[in-house]
Amino acid sequence: MKTELSRRRFLQGTVALSIVGATAAATALAKTEHKSKSKIVDFGLTKTQWSDKLEEIPTLCEMCVNKCAAIARVEDGVLTKLNPNPLFPKSRNMLCARGNAGIQALEDPDRLKYPLIRVGERGEGKFKRVTWDEANEYIKDKMVKIIDEEKDNRSTIGYCAGEGMAEHTYASFMGDKIGSLNYVNHGSICLATTIAGYTLTLGGYGQADLENADYVIMAGANRAEAIVTPDTMDMFKRTKGRGLKMVVVDPRFTNTAAHADTWLPIEVGTDLAFVLAMTHVVMTEERYNKRFCEENLSDFEAYKKHIIDKNYTPEWAQAITGIKADDIRETARDFMAHAPRAIYYQGRRTAWSLQDYQLRRAQAIFSAMGGGIDKKGGIIFGKKLPLGEHSIPSPMYDNALERIEKSKAASIGNSGSWIAWRNTIIDGTAPYPVRAFFAYKQNPMLSIPNTAKTKQMLEKMDLVVVIDTMPSDTVMMADVVLPESLYLEREDPVKSFGGAEPSIALRIPVVEARYDTKPVIEIMRDLGEKLSKPLFEISKKYDESLQEEIEERGEKEVYKEEGYDLADGYRHSQETINHHMVSSVYGEEAWKTLREKGVFYPDMSKYFKKVSANEYEYYPEHKKSYSIIKGDLNNEPYHDTCVDINEIAVLKKKFRTATKKIACALYNFEKRKGVDAMPTWRSELYKETPEGRFKFITGRHGQFTQSGSSNNALLLDLLPENYLWINQRIADAKGIKFGDTVEVRSSIGAIEIKAYPTEKIGKNVVFFIHGFGAESSELTLAHHRGANDNAIIEDVYETTFGSAAMHETIVDIRRV
Amino acid sequence: MARYGMALDYKSCINCKACESACKEENGILLGADKHRIWVGVKDIEGIFPDLSISSSGFEPSQCQQCDNAPCQTVCPTNATYYDDNGVVRVNPEQCILCTYCMEACPYDARYIDDRTMTVDKCNFCSDTRLINGETTTACQATCPTKVRIFGDLDDPESEISLVLRARDHHSMKEHLGTKPKLFYLT
Amino acid sequence: MNFKKILPYNRHTFSSFFSFERTPLNVFMLMLTVGLVGFLLYGISVYLQHGHHAYGVTRQHPWGLLIAMYVFFVVSSTGLCIMSSLGHVFNIKAFQIIGKRAIIGAIIAILTGFLVIAFEIGHPVRMVIYNVLTPGLTSAIWWMGTLYGMYLFFIILEFFFLNNGNHKYSKIFGLAGLIVGLAAHSNLGAVFGFLVARPIANGVFFPLYFILSAMVTGSYLLFLIYGWRYKMKFPPEVKKFMVTLAQVLGLLLAILIFFEIWRALTAIYGMMPERGDIAIHMITSKNFLIGEFLLGMLIPFVVIVYSRGRAIKTLVYTSITGMVGIFWMRYDLVHDTQLAPMMPLKIREYSLPPGLVEYTPTSIEWMIAIGAIGVSFMMYYTADKFFNLDHDAKGH
Ligand code: SF4
Ligand code: SF4
Ligand code: SF4
Repeated sequence: MKTELSRRRFLQGTVALSIVGATAAATALAKTEHKSKSKIVDFGLTKTQWSDKLEEIPTLCEMCVNKCAAIARVEDGVLTKLNPNPLFPKSRNMLCARGNAGIQALEDPDRLKYPLIRVGERGEGKFKRVTWDEANEYIKDKMVKIIDEEKDNRSTIGYCAGEGMAEHTYASFMGDKIGSLNYVNHGSICLATTIAGYTLTLGGYGQADLENADYVIMAGANRAEAIVTPDTMDMFKRTKGRGLKMVVVDPRFTNTAAHADTWLPIEVGTDLAFVLAMTHVVMTEERYNKRFCEENLSDFEAYKKHIIDKNYTPEWAQAITGIKADDIRETARDFMAHAPRAIYYQGRRTAWSLQDYQLRRAQAIFSAMGGGIDKKGGIIFGKKLPLGEHSIPSPMYDNALERIEKSKAASIGNSGSWIAWRNTIIDGTAPYPVRAFFAYKQNPMLSIPNTAKTKQMLEKMDLVVVIDTMPSDTVMMADVVLPESLYLEREDPVKSFGGAEPSIALRIPVVEARYDTKPVIEIMRDLGEKLSKPLFEISKKYDESLQEEIEERGEKEVYKEEGYDLADGYRHSQETINHHMVSSVYGEEAWKTLREKGVFYPDMSKYFKKVSANEYEYYPEHKKSYSIIKGDLNNEPYHDTCVDINEIAVLKKKFRTATKKIACALYNFEKRKGVDAMPTWRSELYKETPEGRFKFITGRHGQFTQSGSSNNALLLDLLPENYLWINQRIADAKGIKFGDTVEVRSSIGAIEIKAYPTEKIGKNVVFFIHGFGAESSELTLAHHRGANDNAIIEDVYETTFGSAAMHETIVDIRRV
Repeated sequence: MARYGMALDYKSCINCKACESACKEENGILLGADKHRIWVGVKDIEGIFPDLSISSSGFEPSQCQQCDNAPCQTVCPTNATYYDDNGVVRVNPEQCILCTYCMEACPYDARYIDDRTMTVDKCNFCSDTRLINGETTTACQATCPTKVRIFGDLDDPESEISLVLRARDHHSMKEHLGTKPKLFYLT
Repeated sequence: MNFKKILPYNRHTFSSFFSFERTPLNVFMLMLTVGLVGFLLYGISVYLQHGHHAYGVTRQHPWGLLIAMYVFFVVSSTGLCIMSSLGHVFNIKAFQIIGKRAIIGAIIAILTGFLVIAFEIGHPVRMVIYNVLTPGLTSAIWWMGTLYGMYLFFIILEFFFLNNGNHKYSKIFGLAGLIVGLAAHSNLGAVFGFLVARPIANGVFFPLYFILSAMVTGSYLLFLIYGWRYKMKFPPEVKKFMVTLAQVLGLLLAILIFFEIWRALTAIYGMMPERGDIAIHMITSKNFLIGEFLLGMLIPFVVIVYSRGRAIKTLVYTSITGMVGIFWMRYDLVHDTQLAPMMPLKIREYSLPPGLVEYTPTSIEWMIAIGAIGVSFMMYYTADKFFNLDHDAKGH
């Protein structure tokens, strides 16, 4: 759903930098939260009986952020199996381990089953069951008091959300309807820097066309374990000498590295030096795609001069990155030899270092120097199928103040900087108090660096409301808990998925909600009904513009027309809204197809072909949207008649950046915000690992989705807990054996975890998977299982976008 | 009547264990570390950081090999283990006395005990959950992200698996034992 | 018809059945037996509640202590049968006195073996049904089980005819029992020997070795049975028999040691995977060195060689160590066969790569396994009460 800014919004002028808007709008991924399973021994898993009560219902997975298309087998109301839905181009007919384990999430006896109000101390985990009305009444009373006391400064209500299809429903209610500007979402602990870096440089984050690339540098990205669709499926069919050459740059030897042609273990936090040195090689040896750079890169010569002047030689980088100069040279040459079908992979959860934004810029420019942008086998932008509009009026609140951490980084956008925002609340530097906090589908207690501070922040609140499906650590801190229906029980906003093979897919409920839970749209509607009138009264009291407006047009009309009826956009069922959004563009037939098949795109019935059990064709080759950026064909192709003209003819394109070109330098940004115009290595931002200590890095896993799946019985069978990767020889020297408990201590805290000594990691790095270590005793299986990385990750953030820098923490290891 | 087999493009495997989860959900396998019909084997990597041997570190998806000459069948005292009409090696729980001799005899560690029936169980190519209902493939095949598996009728010369096996190099596990596995690893 | 005529037995009242000379040794044996049977009953009750979860067996090591104990008992049975046949089937003079006592021992041992295996096999009743309805003729277990069933039948008949003095029939059934017993027993060896996937067990060794080690076991048991029967005060003809038995045992042990040496050498030679490495592990383990070799072979052998077989009292005692050694032989046989993992790769991320398969019997397994010995003591006591097991003037 889209909220229409009413005329006064523009006057107020809180339009965020477009780059950061991209963070929130990004189709993509990263971090999410959700749900799971428990009950151990006689845990019977269902078998389909194939009775005549069997139904097959298409839906979308929500065990992670990828939204793979699934077909649910439902027999007599019982979900017996989730199978992949072959029709969806993005998920390519697959469901991963977590997708399959969705049934356990549904069956999880620990799920939140009804609304709760806290009765004990905050954090004690004592709640009483209440009705939805009681819960909303409670929230209303508190909200009215707080907003009245804050004189209608709606921003006193902070709110956060994890990634999800209904995130926007929630965020627009909290932001556009209630009117708070204090929103934080997963962007700043996830991919804010990479989205910003690529968007500012190329005009978009794009999609790595790994199906057709010949060469890819995977730096830090671990697509074998942190599954991203369709990247994961596309690339690993062609690695190991089968068409896609892969260089993995990672301090860990991951499952992705196991597929690499070359693995370059790098010092943590030095990727920027690596990319700059490769750029240096390509610049000095003039191996870049000259025509493409000339036509499409702005300030290219300046960048070239910058790189050469700064003397970013491979030898320079070797000393910093630990990667041999020759390997850097070879990788750079090899990349360009394979370009334009060569990609420096953008990355997903890229909140690593203080120099992360410049790193992403450097990567993007390096990729562009090969010409593989908006080109098959390179980074492509693809098409997106438009959906109809559903707009609702959003009221303007004169007294809603600017977000509190606005000054904490060069450019903080609508989705905020989680760490800066939280720290601003607890260190008392906020210009006004944030007194209430709403969380939806996010578990900041485990997901934001420095758990102790998150707890402190929540403790300061007069009201904490959490909407979730599982009793997470954050739920334990809540005053009011509003249980959301599980993804298999609800319809979510229809979504269009862009790319070379665009499509629209729909999450349809496959079983009835078994507990007293609701989808977000209904939760918002109910809250809206409760809050509209009393909050309007407060605005009337303090908002002068509103008072004038009422005088002019009458209260009734203003209330209605300006969107003060907070529930107005949420009264239709999700299904009705979806119906409208699809049929208004593609007609009734399309809607029928979508509901029946779960997926729709124009001409699907004509284009979609099953080639074999393993291969499907979604679009004929010539209908795929590889190159979409309009431009003029420069009709002076190199005079080599043996080469396909389309391969070498270089289009002068109009990229979606300010200059319409790929931006090597961003002088404006430098002028206005003091951010380096061109990627520059800042040694003062790099902290070497002291002898005998370790840099801690965190990461993801294919059988575990952060804290969201931490209570899933099936998944815990595959990965029961996280272990600390520590170099074998270091472990030997410290007398640490496999399975020994060790203490990992940083400047902000310490955790205990079992050790996994291995040669797969360097001597000054330790690693474990994020998401374990829940404290909530309501999570029978997850409780005290493994360790919570954010209890030790220091809460530092880079200063361009306020994105967390999660790989800057130095730790000590001790056997206990 | 078919003779079902499976070819594995094992180099594509990423050790995501979707296959293992799908198998458990499809066939209602009990949870527990030892209860799996299907698994992915990983060799501990050779070498010392940073000089690790990438080639030593592959993934080996595996399950019952559906031997044409199955030691587990030969040793079964009550013929509870049998070849069904599709050449699939199966266990009839009614007849299994749980002497576990088959577990002892299987060269591939493909068998385990189902605690509900207290009989030995193993991969049956989803015979009773899919094939019997006219589906033409297995849960593990369908769900695999990188499409490691090709399932089909070895007796049909036109089936995809037959074509692939004719065209591509492959090997089976512990072939020297003469078990004649119907799982083929494509190289 | 008077049953007593067909099978002569002693009549007992309740108190006469339980009356025995209250020597310290007898009292000790009583307490031991009661204790063992108590263990067994407790073990069984736990097993009945928890099934195989009460045991230490795993997917990779499905056979455990109870299988070893089963083998122990049936080898004992076969051993006694073979040794006794030396007398009344093969008419070797010195051995002719052992008849009945050995046969009842054989019956008791195999019954105890069956008792133990009943708590290892998940569905013993189903086994009886489908062994007949759908026999697995290629299965060594099927043959072993079926032949042991027949064997039991034959030796019961043998005992029956021995008891009522029918020499002809006792000889016929004795011979039948011997042949079927040998077949059953070598099939038991084949249960292991046929495991094509396990090079350490696969081959001809076990079927042959089983017969040999059965004879050794039989000899030890005869020493124990006669030592107990005569409380070390042996009549001359018994003495003579025991010296001969000692000499035969010496020879058997020599062959057994010879067997073991060559087995180890061929297994290690060339270091074939899953054979050479396992063999090294085996022969360097305490179980083997102390259990099998020192207790089971070396001590008795040294005593025999040193005394030229005359130290029969010492030999009765060393037979106890011998039987302990035999127990470890059975245990190692079962355990070592399963040492090499059939799936040698890691299947869970955070784990060590599989090494040799480990197995530790649970206390419940020990209770059932060792407790079963109490049952055989009980049965022996009963048999001794009801039947005249001695070689008497009338012949057998
Ligand atoms: S990648 Fe796995 S968990 Fe994520 S949406 Fe797809 S199937 Fe679900
Ligand atoms: S699902 Fe496919 S890629 Fe994943 S572990 Fe199984 S075989 Fe490997
Ligand atoms: S792999 Fe094992 S269980 Fe499967 S058929 Fe062969 S011997 Fe039997």
